[in-house]
Amino acid sequence: MKTSTEITMSESKDKKIHGIVAEYATVDSLMAACRKVRDAGYTKTDAFAPFAVHGIDKALGIKPTKLPWIVLCCGLTGTATGLLMQIWMNGIDYPYIISGKPFISLPAFIPVAFELTILFASFGAFFGMWALNGLPKFSNPVFTDPRFDRVTDDRFFVYIDSTDEKYNQSSVEKLFGETGSEYIQSVLEDDSPKKVPKFMITTWIVVMALSVIPLLVVLRMRVTNSPLPRFHVFYDMDFSPSKDAQQNTTLFADARAMRPNVPGTVARGQMDLNFQTGIDIDALAKIDGPRAAMLVRALDDADLAEEDEAVNEETAKPAASVMDTTPWLSENPREISLELVEKGQQQFGIYCSVCHGMNGSGNGLVNRRAQKLLSATWIPPSSLHQQSLYAENYPDGKLFNTISNGIRKMPGYASQIKVEDRWAIVAYVRALQSSQNASMDQVPASEKKRIEKLKTQVDKKLKEQAEAEKKAADEAAAKAKEAEKEDAEAAAAKTPSA
Amino acid sequence: MSLAIPNGLDNSVERPGERAPLVLGDTTFHDITETVCCVAERKPNKAWVIGFLISFALLQWFGICIAYLLYTGVGVWGNRSPVFWGWPIVNFVFWVGIGHAGTLISAILYLFRQDWRTGINRAAEAMTIFAVACAGTFPGIHVGRAWLAFWLAPYPSLNLWMWPQFRSPLLWDVFAVSTYGTVSLLFWYMGMVPDLATFRDRSKNKWRRMAYGILSLGWSGSSRHWMRYEKAYALLAAFAAPLVLSVHTIVSFDFAVSQVPGWHTTIFPPYFVAGAIFSGFAMVLTLMIPARTMLGLEKLITIRHLDNMCKIILATGSIVGLAYGTEFFIAWYGQVPEEKFAFLNRAFGPYWWAYWTMISCNVISPQFFWFKKIRTTPWMIVIVSIFVNIGMWFERFVIVISSLSRDYLPSAWAYFSPTWVDWSMLIGSFGLFFTLFLLFCRLMPVINMAEVKWTLAKQHHMTHEDEH
Repeated sequence: MKTSTEITMSESKDKKIHGIVAEYATVDSLMAACRKVRDAGYTKTDAFAPFAVHGIDKALGIKPTKLPWIVLCCGLTGTATGLLMQIWMNGIDYPYIISGKPFISLPAFIPVAFELTILFASFGAFFGMWALNGLPKFSNPVFTDPRFDRVTDDRFFVYIDSTDEKYNQSSVEKLFGETGSEYIQSVLEDDSPKKVPKFMITTWIVVMALSVIPLLVVLRMRVTNSPLPRFHVFYDMDFSPSKDAQQNTTLFADARAMRPNVPGTVARGQMDLNFQTGIDIDALAKIDGPRAAMLVRALDDADLAEEDEAVNEETAKPAASVMDTTPWLSENPREISLELVEKGQQQFGIYCSVCHGMNGSGNGLVNRRAQKLLSATWIPPSSLHQQSLYAENYPDGKLFNTISNGIRKMPGYASQIKVEDRWAIVAYVRALQSSQNASMDQVPASEKKRIEKLKTQVDKKLKEQAEAEKKAADEAAAKAKEAEKEDAEAAAAKTPSA
Repeated sequence: MSLAIPNGLDNSVERPGERAPLVLGDTTFHDITETVCCVAERKPNKAWVIGFLISFALLQWFGICIAYLLYTGVGVWGNRSPVFWGWPIVNFVFWVGIGHAGTLISAILYLFRQDWRTGINRAAEAMTIFAVACAGTFPGIHVGRAWLAFWLAPYPSLNLWMWPQFRSPLLWDVFAVSTYGTVSLLFWYMGMVPDLATFRDRSKNKWRRMAYGILSLGWSGSSRHWMRYEKAYALLAAFAAPLVLSVHTIVSFDFAVSQVPGWHTTIFPPYFVAGAIFSGFAMVLTLMIPARTMLGLEKLITIRHLDNMCKIILATGSIVGLAYGTEFFIAWYGQVPEEKFAFLNRAFGPYWWAYWTMISCNVISPQFFWFKKIRTTPWMIVIVSIFVNIGMWFERFVIVISSLSRDYLPSAWAYFSPTWVDWSMLIGSFGLFFTLFLLFCRLMPVINMAEVKWTLAKQHHMTHEDEH
């Protein structure tokens, strides 16, 4: 059998010989050759095949790979990463409250932990395998032989490395000859250029440099102050087309974005101003134009609370002043009926009685409490039965205005009580006032007897009450006097020593 | 010794006591190399060119639609209150499902030592990658501001100062689908390296040699490398198998974890996985049958391969049919009024046409595969497979749309109608899929040569043993 080694030997004097390969045509001959090589004691050997030949590791004496251990470590790292990441992110650093679920909820964290386990383990298997194989490696001495190209097609090769302890060129060739190989060849040094072609490096550098540009542009844009508007690819509703208060616009001739009321128009809710204010606006407009306009404006938008408040102060002051020139409505604009008065009674009971008392005498629970606390700043609520609050001195409109806007310590109730209910309260207050001055003539004959009986009872009770109160007051006064005396004595006892 | 069998290319005949050959004809290792490499080396034929031009046009239309959507907003879709999970999610679940057959063939059949997978696994894996690419597009642009989709990733953001919500199945989806895509890509590429080395060693052209040289990472066919490679391959298969089950399970959680009637069911995970495998195998067949004729691969992708895949379709199709029945049973048995209504509404409500399309395509059409004649006649298989694909698309449509359009409050009911953008994107996604697949046929080894050679060697060995 002719080996081509002899022919190439002379040419390859100056080239390093890495080892010897022998070619085989079938799997069976390859396996037989591998066993022979192994039995001859060679260890630095390898077999090359177009597919994974099962059993060749035993035939060649290849130890099992440690790849599974690498993969196991990677997989466990993946599990730990997944769990710790989720526990840290959702349980500790940024806990979400989602329908009462626990922050650290392991069952919910399993899917992501599982996926990361698989991902990391797969990376371990993939990259670990290439790393253990020493790939990618584009230069390999065995590739120098053109015949070796068929290893990825239909040929099988066995290789013995020259660094093997038992290596001896002639004995290896003899051994291969015995295995029936038709082609035995020395593996020579790869003399193809070691350097990567210059154009490839240039292209690579250019591409890398170009790819950095967008990033640099973005970074530069993020730190630069510029008077020009930002460059926006996607607007993301960053700019609203609506105008803010006091902004300019090109839409109107006066360049104002805020529009004034159109002259001569009546805004919604402005129609029945008398009903809403208790003031005869027409009469007011004649004597105090600006104030009437202000009231109109204030009611134009009831939501403008601040403006409303400003107006309240304005209206409250003149109401309290002696020189009240406001043309108050003197008649309740609502039709007086039993129903209206009952409604007024109900509303009075809810809002007014706490201070003014159920009977309007000004001795409600709040007042009694304040008296008890001896609150220094307390201004007692008016008794609604004083002369100055009667209809002839205090017009219905003014009473309505007081309910709406408050007076002295009394807050305005405009926000709590509807306009029509305020008028109902006015009606009830008038009824309450007239009840205190009712004579027995006004009582219908059928009720007279009962009322008289009640009257005597109440009078008796009131008398008893007054006596008890007087007694209590006297006792208290005496006690206070005694205490004062004691205090004075104590003070006197102190002074000499001082 | 001849492996040629009496009736030519038909190896579907069962011969008791004997394994049917998986590589047909008097084939040698070199024949396999020639057959597969020629697909990429010779000039493309007319059918390929026409197919590529059509797909590429559709792909461009897809791109234009995406650009239009990004520029204008997701309002160009038909998604309106209350059907906010409309067409794009239907397409997403459909494409993710298609991908599963690839992983199933390469991983689960590998673990079960099913040698017949070697002829078809490469193309099926490629199909997985491309289907996942199509699937990934839809949630990517569905988030509204697609340019901020990276907010889904848990990275320390200086703009947001917050982390994603890990108790949401939508976020599990991000991890599941991206892990699935990555692992499938690694699996596919790793399986291709030895074959890319074959391409490298056969290439005459310098550029071609350089390109395949880089892609094949310097693979030399060393036994030590093969041994680690096989171990890594087995490990990846072992990871991919539970992964593929988990991915569609998690996709089903998107629905099942909600409270919408018709979605809130524990049957979803297994039912979705079975449906995914069902539709995936149908897609493999739809692609492979024309491809094997056009590329001349009949000796490697044999009738027996098709027959086996038809049997899997029959099995999974029956599981899907059983699941439809179970859903109805549980809706009745559970006696939740909303649930009962949801299922009656599916069958007899405004979307009855979608429901009955689904039933006839998914439940009835695979039953034809009980007949061996149909299982072994390629054009009949293609017709049934296309019906299965249509049916499975409609299954996702029925689940997503019918439940959302008729949930608890009748005042919130609305009928969903897709817009032209919805239609264009569905068709355009097929453009993306077929463009990638046709490019793959031209540039990459469509058949796993190394594994088929191994199958052939095993076959030889068995015949040798018979001779002894």
